[in-house]
Amino acid sequence: MLRTLRAIFIFELRYQVKQPLVYATTLILMLLAFGAVTTDSIRVGGAIGNVHRNAPFVIMQLLTVLSVIGMFVITAFVASAANRDFEHGTAPLFFSKPVSNFDYLAGRFAGSLVVSVAVFVGAAAGIAIGSFMPWLEPERLGPFSLTPYLYTFAVFIVPNLVFIGAVFFTLASTTRSLMFTYLGVVGFFIIYAVAGTLLGNLENQVPASLLDPFGLSSLGLATRYWTVVERNTALPPLGAGSLLLNRAIWIAIGLAVLAAGFLVFDPARPSTGRRRRARPQLSPIAALPAGRLALEEVAVAEAGSGRPLAVASTRCFSAGAQIRQFIQQARLEVVSVVKSIPFVVLLAFGMTNVLASVRFANEVYGSPVLPVTHLMLEWLAGTFLFLLVIIVIFYSGELVWKERALKLNEVYDSLPVPTWATFASKLAALVVVVVSFSLVGALTTAGFQLYRGYHHLEPLLYLKGLAVTTIPFLLIAVLAVFLQVLANSKFLGYLLMILYLISGAVLRSLDFDHQLYHFAGSPAVLYSDMNGYGHFVTPFLWFSLYWTFLALVLFGLSLLLRVRGTESSWRQRWRQAAARFHGPVRALVAGGLLGFVVTGAYIYYNTNVLNPYVPGDKLRNQQADYEKKYRRYRDIAMPRITAVKADVDIFPRERRLAVRGHYQMRNKTTSPIDTLHVTLPPRVKVLSLRFRDHTEVLRDRALGYSIYRFARPLAPGEEMALDFELAVTNPGFVNNDPDTSLVYNGTFFNNRQYFPVLGYEERRQLIDRNERRKRGLLPVDRMAKVDDLFARRNTYLTRDSDWIDFETTVSTSADQIAIAPGYLQRQWRAGDRRYFHYKMDAPILHFFSYLSAAYKVRRDSWKGVAIEIYYQEPHTYNLGRMVDSIKKSLDYYTANFGPYQHRQVRILEFPDYERFAQSFPNTIPYSESIGFIADLKDQESIDYVFYVTAHEVAHQWWAHQVIGGNVQGATMLSETMSQYSALMVMEKEYGKDKMRRFLQYELDRYLSGRGGELVEEMPLMLVENQDYIHYRKGSVVMYALRDYIGEAALNGALARYLAAVKFEQPPYTNTPELLRIIEEATPPERRAMIGDMFSKITLFNNRVVGASYSRRADGRYAVDLTVEAAKVRADGKGVETPARLDDWIDIGVFGEKKDKRSKPQETVLYLAKHRFTEPRTTLHLVVDGLPVQAGIDPYNKLVDRDSKDNRKRVEPAARNAEAKAVKG
Amino acid sequence: MLKIANLSKTYANGVQALRDVSLDIPTGMFGLLGPNGAGKSTLMRTIATLQEADSGSISLDGLDVLKEKAEVRKILGYLPQEFGVYPRITAEVMLDHFALLKGIVGPRQRKAVVEALLRQTNLYQFRRRKLGTFSGGMRQRFGIAQALLGDPRLLIVDEPTAGLDPEERNRFLNLLSEIGENVVVILSTHIVDDVSDLCSRMAIISEGRVLQTGMPREVIASLHGSIWQKTVGKSELEDYRARYQVISTRLFAGLTVIHVFSLERPDASFEQVAADLEDVYFKTLRQSASAAA
Repeated sequence: MLRTLRAIFIFELRYQVKQPLVYATTLILMLLAFGAVTTDSIRVGGAIGNVHRNAPFVIMQLLTVLSVIGMFVITAFVASAANRDFEHGTAPLFFSKPVSNFDYLAGRFAGSLVVSVAVFVGAAAGIAIGSFMPWLEPERLGPFSLTPYLYTFAVFIVPNLVFIGAVFFTLASTTRSLMFTYLGVVGFFIIYAVAGTLLGNLENQVPASLLDPFGLSSLGLATRYWTVVERNTALPPLGAGSLLLNRAIWIAIGLAVLAAGFLVFDPARPSTGRRRRARPQLSPIAALPAGRLALEEVAVAEAGSGRPLAVASTRCFSAGAQIRQFIQQARLEVVSVVKSIPFVVLLAFGMTNVLASVRFANEVYGSPVLPVTHLMLEWLAGTFLFLLVIIVIFYSGELVWKERALKLNEVYDSLPVPTWATFASKLAALVVVVVSFSLVGALTTAGFQLYRGYHHLEPLLYLKGLAVTTIPFLLIAVLAVFLQVLANSKFLGYLLMILYLISGAVLRSLDFDHQLYHFAGSPAVLYSDMNGYGHFVTPFLWFSLYWTFLALVLFGLSLLLRVRGTESSWRQRWRQAAARFHGPVRALVAGGLLGFVVTGAYIYYNTNVLNPYVPGDKLRNQQADYEKKYRRYRDIAMPRITAVKADVDIFPRERRLAVRGHYQMRNKTTSPIDTLHVTLPPRVKVLSLRFRDHTEVLRDRALGYSIYRFARPLAPGEEMALDFELAVTNPGFVNNDPDTSLVYNGTFFNNRQYFPVLGYEERRQLIDRNERRKRGLLPVDRMAKVDDLFARRNTYLTRDSDWIDFETTVSTSADQIAIAPGYLQRQWRAGDRRYFHYKMDAPILHFFSYLSAAYKVRRDSWKGVAIEIYYQEPHTYNLGRMVDSIKKSLDYYTANFGPYQHRQVRILEFPDYERFAQSFPNTIPYSESIGFIADLKDQESIDYVFYVTAHEVAHQWWAHQVIGGNVQGATMLSETMSQYSALMVMEKEYGKDKMRRFLQYELDRYLSGRGGELVEEMPLMLVENQDYIHYRKGSVVMYALRDYIGEAALNGALARYLAAVKFEQPPYTNTPELLRIIEEATPPERRAMIGDMFSKITLFNNRVVGASYSRRADGRYAVDLTVEAAKVRADGKGVETPARLDDWIDIGVFGEKKDKRSKPQETVLYLAKHRFTEPRTTLHLVVDGLPVQAGIDPYNKLVDRDSKDNRKRVEPAARNAEAKAVKG
Repeated sequence: MLKIANLSKTYANGVQALRDVSLDIPTGMFGLLGPNGAGKSTLMRTIATLQEADSGSISLDGLDVLKEKAEVRKILGYLPQEFGVYPRITAEVMLDHFALLKGIVGPRQRKAVVEALLRQTNLYQFRRRKLGTFSGGMRQRFGIAQALLGDPRLLIVDEPTAGLDPEERNRFLNLLSEIGENVVVILSTHIVDDVSDLCSRMAIISEGRVLQTGMPREVIASLHGSIWQKTVGKSELEDYRARYQVISTRLFAGLTVIHVFSLERPDASFEQVAADLEDVYFKTLRQSASAAA
């Protein structure tokens, strides 16, 4: 028996090993893996920053992701093993031999499985080989070890392949239909995608991770908070999270399915699907005795023979007839595509994918946004329309060679149909297929919009959006068809297409990024509700036209080179092409070429003559040059700006800006200053720059740096003026990254973009370490030490000023409102322009913004402070929340921190090109994508509009009153404090329970942010502008601090600090100054905690080990609670060392209040801080109500990597004892 | 009248498929007989505008077949040796589609033509069936139906009877024979009976060369009285081959029957048989082979 099985196994192995698909797959996976390890162009696996390119974590991620992608081909292997004999009709040859079903199936399955595993060994080899490539930075490589590979194969790859193989082998052998098998593949992909999206919500991570058949979610969960060190060295223990369970479940499912498949396997059963329906039709004929059939036919023939042989047919070969032939043929082709398996599978996959993702699209803190149409389009492009590239490539080959595949080509080629008609019909079919695929996608998302109760569908926008994403695919279709014709072989054609795709990506990654030579390329088209498609339309249309002309040429060439008949030698093809080159084809090719050249020239004129074309690497060279040449002047003494006056004219239609500005400056140093250094971006045209007598020492126009020497040095305390006239224009269009600050509607820029900056601008430096090294630069300097007094002479925002007076007159077109910080003094019209004069009444930082758009305004007020929201129709959804948040923020901040320095708060909507809100003095630009379209209907969701608004309003205190010096910890003084302020306002509005959910997200984002750290994780008080620390950890730490020392004490300390340092002159404040005041407000026994929170990286590992209760005689409940507590300190790379535990930690016992109508509500039976010094402690508590849950740090106030085990269900004591007895 | 003059063709791999082929093919059935690989299909495809010739010319009533392909296709009906169908489309729909592609634009007329052809090929009752379910014979008849669309003046059928059972073959040949006499019909085959049953004229072609042309009756007559038959044992066969011009051998009831060409009776044990086309065919091939050797 075993011998048969082995024979079948070996036969299968031999068969598969001869299949080109096996080699192609191995090669592709190998190249993918190799590319991911050796380049930055393929980003799978998470090798970023200090994570080694060949870290165990990367190997696990990369190979497992490849196993998901590989599902599509693995399915082909196993389905082939299961179905081959039924397809080729060789089944009877096998089943007429003494072979048991089991031997047959098991042998086949094992053979195909071994081949599948071998394919992945190839992928692993790709990683291993890649990690030895000489061009890799040695510090980004870890030592080679076989262990992670073996682990990954044992835990992920082999189980995945067994599971995938088993399920699809069974599906294929029972349905005998590739269609059903691939529908199954789609199904699993959907399960996987759903698991991925469910994972985004913190509350159902474990079930979601079990749902993922490939174990990636479980892996993600187990490694989610891994630091760099862990990623570089560790492998997750099998017991971590849901890993073991997930693997066990899915292997079991796979094997069970396989066993079931073996049992029901019946070689005599016909195939499912179309073929099964076809059989019964065939059988009556087959069953008829030949004689009778013959008689019948003779009868028919006799009946027919009286007629003329063929009905006389008049035929027509006019152009009209040709067009009808073309249409008819195209219709046939379209039907053949839309009814085919891959199309149906891709469509089903795409629809599910888009629905599964769009459901969670752009969620913030688990709260959804309104399904506005442009968002739908964005998600369609990312999750649905990308499939078109597969469709276009695959069906170009299928359609072009369809007759050949069916052996109908000779019949077709000898028909009196012009070549163009049959050939164009295929292209037309491809076009129809692409367009209908897009439309189905649009209908899907439109359906989703309606389902969500959103009725503002914007069909016109849908059409435009689909055109923008679909046109490139249509162009690619022409290319694909042309390459098929050129190659005269389906697979060679596919190969050429893949080469085209890869070479495009490679060229771009090498900064060959001009769209003129990237087929179907054009600058990205961005949409915003405020600005529509704006200035992105023109270049898109020109590029589309340009490529359409080339497509016409390619179409013409395809007609010339298409093999009609059986003559395929190039000599003959050239001869035929030459013979065909006349009439319309010649006109088409010549006209197309002419159009291509003319539009190309016009585009070149726009991108390279009207505008400078600077490829990415040149741009980085410039950045590096700027640093190499001028960084030496960084600390040079410079006069400081004390007042700014500016007349700014915004011309939205022309996307042009004219600035006439005036800086008042003073020598605040104690020695004379003899030079002035000015940085101005090269794209700003300097019309004049006037100031005291000087000579020009250096003017570097390319890098935008100038040095002037004063005729007479500026004495200490002496003032001077700098008057400038500048122009910023956007002529024509550019090749890439068009300017998004000057737009038709929704202009938004700040002074740092276009105004002169004194001295060297650190912001313009190259940051990426690899790019720096290539140009001989060391990594960017870290921030100055927290107590560096020299660095503290500047704020962390500017280097050329302290506090300034500000006044501006800004004009815009008649239909728009222009806004800048300050109070509106006067507005007027002159000609077709509107003018606004703003003046500030309090000193501000040298950082201000200008906005202009056709705004509507919502006005309100709070105790004499004017509240204004400038918004775009129809974005009125959340204006009420914003106003409410502003009022409540002002309430809280003025009561707790100090007075508001302005008399106005303004929120200004700006287009979706950037996604942030930013606080300028009394002015808060706020992106249309965050908040304005948030969907807050669900009462349960976190109202992040309220939160973001409160945060930005808080910046009026924390940044615009208190501003840190340019040293470590500076952003803690603005961002962390604003987070804390917003948390307090939010807590008042929404209660503690919601805060807990919000803080869970913050904790999660802090912990996962650690793994993405590129340089070094800093303690909070030394934060070096690291988002995950100053926002996320800041929230968690400040909320806990509030809990430990009380809101009044903390706010009192903050108010004292604020009063001491607000609007101060240099040296600017730093975090130790704040912490000193906080420490003073902290009871001595809790001061140690402040060190843990702010000056160290501290992590807790607290958990409940046992919890039981018994009812006492007095009706109260005794609760026995055994908890473990541990504390570790981590260094900047994540290396942990245990720390001595002496901490006060919450202990809580909770009951349940049952209400018939709503979900049971949690009640607090006991909550108090206990001091812990031992790793394991048992507590005996007495509570009044029936305890349900108990825990240590039950509200997750401390930074704890596993916050799920902080609580446990409280069991009745007896049962607990029993359980223990059994175990013991 | 189709005139083929000095047609030669060498494939890129060096195979000389046609060597100086000249043929005059009048209206009526013309049989092209030759073994596999003789160049029949190359010749057929060249006439059917699917292939280029290196040299030589083909003209049909003054039409230059090699140059004016588009014109030729308007009067051409072609049934290739091997062809497939769209498996999921019904015979009726597919034929209608081909009719349109052949230039029969009017829908009503197209319907009539399609119906007539389906009846003529005895496929009418199966018109709603998907082509994928057709048997070999039905498919072949469907092939002839599509070739007959639009009243072709030049009909080329390449090995149409290969793979058909005798019944199907008969039916198919009947159909071909019904086709009008003012049409040039070229039938290529390696089955001698196809030609003898059907064709008024024929050519034998081998290794790219035309070995013989003429009317089957005439060429058979040329062998009249010189074909001798004898039943021999297996062991004697080699001996006979050496001594006589054995043109064919076949098994009959376990014994070998040989045909020998000889102007006189070789010996008394031979009996004279009436020559048939098969004798002509084999004799021509043998002669050609020995000439080459």
